[in-house]
Amino acid sequence: MVSFTKNSKMAEIILKNYQLLPIISRFGIKLGFGNKTVEEVCANKNVNAAFFLEILNSYHNSNYFPDNHLGDFNVDVMVDYLTNTHTYYLKSKVPHIQLFIDKMEREAQEENSRNINLLKHFFNEYKIDIENHFKEEEKHIFPYVIDLEKTLNTNNCSRELIDKIKHEPIEVYERNHDSLEIKLADLKNLIIRFLPPLSCEDDCEHLLTELFQLEYDIEEHTRMEEKVLIPKVKMLEQKVLEYYGV
Amino acid sequence: MEFEERKLHTVIASEQYLVRLGVKTLLNVIGIESDLHEVGTFDELEYFLQKDENMDYLILSEDILQKQRKPDCLEYVKNSFGLNTTILIGKQQFSNCVCDHFISNSCSRKEVVDKLQQFFYAPKANEQQEEDSHTLSDREKDVLKAVALGFSNKEIADQLFISINTVITHRKNITSKLGIKTISGLTVYALMHHIIKAEEAM
Repeated sequence: MVSFTKNSKMAEIILKNYQLLPIISRFGIKLGFGNKTVEEVCANKNVNAAFFLEILNSYHNSNYFPDNHLGDFNVDVMVDYLTNTHTYYLKSKVPHIQLFIDKMEREAQEENSRNINLLKHFFNEYKIDIENHFKEEEKHIFPYVIDLEKTLNTNNCSRELIDKIKHEPIEVYERNHDSLEIKLADLKNLIIRFLPPLSCEDDCEHLLTELFQLEYDIEEHTRMEEKVLIPKVKMLEQKVLEYYGV
Repeated sequence: MEFEERKLHTVIASEQYLVRLGVKTLLNVIGIESDLHEVGTFDELEYFLQKDENMDYLILSEDILQKQRKPDCLEYVKNSFGLNTTILIGKQQFSNCVCDHFISNSCSRKEVVDKLQQFFYAPKANEQQEEDSHTLSDREKDVLKAVALGFSNKEIADQLFISINTVITHRKNITSKLGIKTISGLTVYALMHHIIKAEEAM
């Protein structure tokens, strides 16, 4: 599959893969790009083009492995993006799904309404899971990553940071990075296989579409953390250790 | 006297030409030797079944049923023409569906082939065979109930007087039958199917 480059036309990218729409909006990029290239659009919006391309490409092609561009951007843009994505899930996607579930619950007949209520609780639990997962990343992982970069830029390294690299490197997080998709898959299965048919088929269809999209998006998000963030952090850890000769 | 085997007859009913073609192709792939008849509307199907009573199998896509009252429509077809073997293709299986066989639109090629094979080669419904791949055995239900109530494998083994390995096997089978992996997902299933009561689930 061909990768997008800084000279690709923004409009053509979206025409090729509309699933990239929520991604560009996370960067604050809006439609109406005329014939502008990725580079031009990014320059306008003050977005790091190299990083933007990494995200677009890995989202577009699941086999894409960003090997030689890791040095082209700072981790803080990445952390910003990941944090934005968390917010997008929690503030936009999750409430959207909850709305559909609520609507289905209201419109279903009594017996089925009880079933939908069960699904609602299940989804609420899921919401708490992802909130905790994101909180952990935002509170512990992202600051660590930023610290690594800051250390290299300021030549000022704390003892604690070195300790952390030695005893609790990003690899630990990588190993425990649990999958957020399993519960979503269960929810889909419960609806598709076991929920008695509803009269509001349209809502159910929308809900499923939303769930499929969220699942895909979260998978990508996880891949991004695992294929872009973690390799980059490992590189930084290595650099810090070498620089300080530990 | 030479015994002549009667040729089987199969009706393929769908509004969509591509669906009918797909079904025909797959039947060919799994080597079903049957006379195939295609119908493209519900009226046509009704007319066809009235005219010719010797149909053995009906492969029916839900698009052909009248919207809003699909399950009724299906029941009518089944009861009026005494068809024991009908397989339904659609989005979601109706609850208490009169058909024992169902292919979901989202099935992969392999799943479709498997299901068609089961449909043609499985013992007939009237021969009393309760091996639906989706229903849990009584023992599996016991295990599911305990899992949903939050018991560990060890506790379940003790309660049911079976080994932990047996518990694990049951759990594997439950998950593969239901397609549900997490404990909270299984709990929802158990509640939906009244295997446990809401009060029991905390």
